[in-house]
Amino acid sequence: MYTQFFGNFLINKGIITTEQLMEALKIQASTHQKLGTLAIHAGYMSANEVEDVYIMQTHYDKRFGELAVKLGYLTQKQVNELLELQLPDYMKLGQVLVEKGWISNVDLENLVAEYRSSYEICDLNLAIEQQELVNKLLSSFCSKENIQDSEQVIPYLTLFFNNLVRFIGEDFTPLEIIPMPEVPTNFCVSQQITDSLLSALDMEPQTAIAFACKYVDEEFTEFDEYVLASVEDFLNLHNGLYAVNMSNEHSVELQLEPPMVQEHTTLSTDAPAYLLPIVYPFGRINFILSVFGE
Amino acid sequence: MEDVKILICDDSILARKQLKDIIRKCGYDNFLEAANGEQAISVYKESKPDLVFLDIVMPEKDGVQAVHEIRQFDPDAYIIIVSSVGTKSQLKAAIMEGAHDFIQKPYSSSSIERIVKKRFEGR
Repeated sequence: MYTQFFGNFLINKGIITTEQLMEALKIQASTHQKLGTLAIHAGYMSANEVEDVYIMQTHYDKRFGELAVKLGYLTQKQVNELLELQLPDYMKLGQVLVEKGWISNVDLENLVAEYRSSYEICDLNLAIEQQELVNKLLSSFCSKENIQDSEQVIPYLTLFFNNLVRFIGEDFTPLEIIPMPEVPTNFCVSQQITDSLLSALDMEPQTAIAFACKYVDEEFTEFDEYVLASVEDFLNLHNGLYAVNMSNEHSVELQLEPPMVQEHTTLSTDAPAYLLPIVYPFGRINFILSVFGE
Repeated sequence: MEDVKILICDDSILARKQLKDIIRKCGYDNFLEAANGEQAISVYKESKPDLVFLDIVMPEKDGVQAVHEIRQFDPDAYIIIVSSVGTKSQLKAAIMEGAHDFIQKPYSSSSIERIVKKRFEGR
């Protein structure tokens, strides 16, 4: 899960802008992983050594692996090993930023190290540790924005992020949460949990089509009622799972109301509302949440 | 098989399509549709379908009310509640009103096949 927050971390540090992040995320999916980035990720080479090899490559028409072995940075065995590896998404994002010239490999190495150490990220396998880590990331994600009702918002958003990973794909980045009294929308699917909260997903038609394809695993080409129904279904499933959790963990029985579709309206509630933009390579989704329960 | 009528009531057109696709594979193709509880009741009264799939969370009238009114009209109505996750209390109410069985979304095609076979066994 921590992959999703790396982009957000870079924006907060002022390393890149939101526009740069969105551009990079669009390219990221189709980017080929480089051996140099893999070597940094595996800890086999430092960023400086990788830069060395890239400079050498401008003089000699040789492959990265071959030169790295020649320079004594890697063994052939390590090269073979790296070729089998898959870069995690946050390193892929980093590589795109380097290719764009927005940061250097040395910056990337340092930023990743800082990101990992500030959240004590290591290679986790245990589900419980993963969960704790996600909670920690989310707490720091939410607290900055001085969110009211954070004890309700954080578990709700944790589940939301998990459901995005499960049902849509893990290649997303949440941007800052913005408190907003009113939110203008395009095509907005909303659902209330009676006396508890209002949730809504808002996106452009093209994004909704891609979202629906991912969720239902069918090829939709037009923005039709099936696409809208898919978005409704996702929101309904997510809120349903939230209700199950509330019932299991807090013995609170919640009632879901049917999801609703609204076009070009303004969402407003009496309770504080938050806008959370989420960027996928296929487009941007605005998630709107308002908690009005006790 | 042709004379068997199946009513599918769900406010989501996607859910109705998915359910129809599965039931077609069991060999039944005569569907009636409704998008809310109110419609479901009037379609039922008009056509008396042999099997009803009823979503629980719907606008106008929800599944619980619809079960109640359909069973009042026809105590032999065969109703399956299609519930989403997180609707435990509503589901319980629907069963109390006389629904035969329930399936939970997202459902597997085998659970639908089981229900359809059970209903039309020997026909």
